[in-house]
Amino acid sequence: MNVKRMGALFKREIRDIFRDKKTMIMMVLLPLVLYPLLIVGMALLSTAIMQSQEEKTYLVAFEDCAELETAMADILEDMPEEIGYTVKVVSEDSCREALEAETIDAYVTMDGKEITIHYLSAKDNSSTASYALDEAFDIYRSSLTKQQIEDAGLDAEMILHPVQIAENDLSSAEESVGSMLGTMMPFFIITMILLGAIYPAIDVTAGEKERGTLETLLTLPVTNFEMIMSKFLAVSVIAGVSALLNVISMCGAMAFLVSSSMASAADMNIVIDYTKFIPGILITILVMMVFALFVTAVCMCTCVFAKNFKDANNYATPVMFVFMFASYAPMLPDVELTAQTAAIPVVNVALLVAGLFEFNYNYALFGIVLVSNVAYSLLAIMVLGRIYNSESVLFSEGFSGVKLFDKRSDMKEKQIPGVGDCVLLMCIVLLLMLYGGTYAQLKLGFGGVAVQQAFILICPLVYAWYMKADFKKVFSIKPPHIKGVLGGICLALAGFMLALVAGALLTPVFPQSAESLKAMDEMIKGQPAWVLFLVMAAMPAIGEEFLFRGFLMGTLREKCKPWVAIVATTLIFAAYHMSLLKMFTISIIGLGLTVAAYMTGSIFVSMLMHFINNSVSVLITLYPEQVGKLFPVLMEESPGSAQIAVVTLVGVVLAVVGWVLVKGKKAV
Amino acid sequence: MIIADNLCKQFERTVLSEEKKGLGKKGKKTGKKETFYAVDHVSFQVPQGEILGILGPNGAGKTTLLRMLGSLMEPTEGTVSIENREGKVLTDPVDLKKSIGYLSGNTKLYHRMSPREMLYMLAEIYGIEKAEAEKRIAEISNVLDMESFLDNRIEKLSTGQTQRASIARCLIHDPDIYIFDEPTLGLDILSADAIVNFMKSQKERGKTVLYSTHYLEEAQFLCDRILMIYQGKIVKEGSPKAILEECNTENLRDAFHYVMEEVEKA
Repeated sequence: MNVKRMGALFKREIRDIFRDKKTMIMMVLLPLVLYPLLIVGMALLSTAIMQSQEEKTYLVAFEDCAELETAMADILEDMPEEIGYTVKVVSEDSCREALEAETIDAYVTMDGKEITIHYLSAKDNSSTASYALDEAFDIYRSSLTKQQIEDAGLDAEMILHPVQIAENDLSSAEESVGSMLGTMMPFFIITMILLGAIYPAIDVTAGEKERGTLETLLTLPVTNFEMIMSKFLAVSVIAGVSALLNVISMCGAMAFLVSSSMASAADMNIVIDYTKFIPGILITILVMMVFALFVTAVCMCTCVFAKNFKDANNYATPVMFVFMFASYAPMLPDVELTAQTAAIPVVNVALLVAGLFEFNYNYALFGIVLVSNVAYSLLAIMVLGRIYNSESVLFSEGFSGVKLFDKRSDMKEKQIPGVGDCVLLMCIVLLLMLYGGTYAQLKLGFGGVAVQQAFILICPLVYAWYMKADFKKVFSIKPPHIKGVLGGICLALAGFMLALVAGALLTPVFPQSAESLKAMDEMIKGQPAWVLFLVMAAMPAIGEEFLFRGFLMGTLREKCKPWVAIVATTLIFAAYHMSLLKMFTISIIGLGLTVAAYMTGSIFVSMLMHFINNSVSVLITLYPEQVGKLFPVLMEESPGSAQIAVVTLVGVVLAVVGWVLVKGKKAV
Repeated sequence: MIIADNLCKQFERTVLSEEKKGLGKKGKKTGKKETFYAVDHVSFQVPQGEILGILGPNGAGKTTLLRMLGSLMEPTEGTVSIENREGKVLTDPVDLKKSIGYLSGNTKLYHRMSPREMLYMLAEIYGIEKAEAEKRIAEISNVLDMESFLDNRIEKLSTGQTQRASIARCLIHDPDIYIFDEPTLGLDILSADAIVNFMKSQKERGKTVLYSTHYLEEAQFLCDRILMIYQGKIVKEGSPKAILEECNTENLRDAFHYVMEEVEKA
């Protein structure tokens, strides 16, 4: 990949999009001008209508009921203040004809005890007049009731209002506003990102085909990947920016509405502390950026098949419907962000944003939403790359030639996977874990953990088998040297100790969610020790090592510089555990594993290390008291600085010894 | 020198056939997919300073062949390589593209840019330094007489101006090899002549030109060598003079008919 070439292409795409009127209208004009105008305009319009109604006088008549007329005339006279408009009683010869001619707005007849209001529901004035009469009759009726109760010698107030009901809303003003925003914002944000992405996406794919510049682009000395990435990045930037503009403009218009309605209702003494929304808004923006990548990739995947703009619009419409439908999720009752919904594309973003505005901060779930969105985006980009690589899409405008997957029979023998294979495999494993793993845990409880571990082991093996990879080389299958094993053990212990220190130091910063710890405890409870060792120590040692130190490191070792391979493997391994706290501690342990596997060239060393590390954790869970007696440091809730210093020192010494041992093996 | 070694391109096409099963149901025709060679094991070399004309009826595989030579398409079998002036053999598509100027009816220009912006953008992609690019753009626009419209948007240019901008596009990286797919198709006499003259001048500069055309008279006096292809295979190869002698005709048009008839018979 040549960054300079990609930069030139990216600049060109951005410039091209900015010079496209359609995109600019959708992106800038619509959010910045139309929405505020619409919202503010509607508000102004409704105020104007209300005012004109206030000034209006409605005419009503009473037919053959003089007594009622006098009583009601008094009530109606006193009404205006309460109801907001003036109602005047007039006399007409034929009320019905007058109403039909619209010289009066309503009239009343009385037959015994039955009073009828005659009006025209199709006429606004008449409806309002009838509403006013209705209100007036309510007052009339209560005054009659009161009169009769008093005539009977009773206390009218006691009988009519035996109890008083009052409401007291304990939600803070921020919570009320947040819950309102939370239901609306996801839909707006998702729709806006979609609208922002869809036109540029069409423009750079189908539009390019229609204008006939695609073949020109293919004559340039750029790889397909550079071409697709520059387009992808350009559209993502536009989608992100347009979403931002939309949100800002919408928030501005809303703020105007709120402040103007507050000014009109001055007696409602509400103070909203907007700063409380800032963390939520920041996380929303972060999620929006990642989501923009995903939306862009999906839009481009769809539009790339289209021959021209019109075609692409047709293809994009169903995508828009699916996205918009999914973004309604927060409006449904009982749909909340959970470990399961956090992995569903679009829905997870909608629920996350809704939750943020309701002040639900669950960082573990945010992690899943972010990571799964990154995974979906990567998958979508890879699919896009495959589609763009296919000449039938580029030249002959058809679907049929797209080969997303090569047949196994077409694969060469003894291949080394590429970075793309790693990305694909990692995404597959991640999504399998999120969906299959969570499902298995729900159904099988502890057995689900074993199923999850099995996924992790099977995926890289199947992938490597399918592509006819060189198993020995990719998975570093080689018997270890004794020095390497000893070094590995040292590094494992060092990793465990240093991770312990890091964990102790970081716990105050990132409190572990008590809920997840409890759930784990309950699952483990009652399992025999050998099962725990098998599922929690042996299986991860084999599965995760095959995936990370095997497939991932084996590939990166061939394609990148050593330090890149080691750091990338370590970080991806840590990110896989999807927890902020674990991110740091597992990086330390993972670094030890990766370095040992890299230097000794044997996966068995890191498997042994992984097994040792996990076994210690299992031991602590199984026999907390015995372990506490032997190594009090391990069980300390908040260790003192002296203990931390000792453990750190021992850890560092072990790490150095381990490093010398594993390195020495390599030199021999 | 550009070398095509055993080039093949396979495509899929749908053939309508009346299947036995289908006949029962109202004799429905079902499409059957089959693969065929659009370019069928073609090998040749074009040395420096030579203009090679590629002739053939529609669907003979000219465009596919040129696309493979220009690395726009990947061959199903065979390789394309270029031996540059320093004697280095290039095979990587990105390297090949750097030595090739490719022009066809389908290589349109970016409408929303001016020729100058486009040339700068291309220079950046070809890795030409900014000062050098500036110099070259000035030179090219002088040669092609583009100064008057260099800063207008391409969508506003006339056909002739657009054509000149297209040539400028192929010139910016000063390639050793030009590949032109029916460059004079649909152009008026002046514009077509400009292109023909351009090819001649490039030949004089020692560049290699490969081009396909339906204008046989043009090919007869312009080309050093001619390839006639039919159904993806080379059916005749040689200098215009040699071909005329072999076919015993006075002009290339008659020779073309003669060759096609011979092939049909075989």
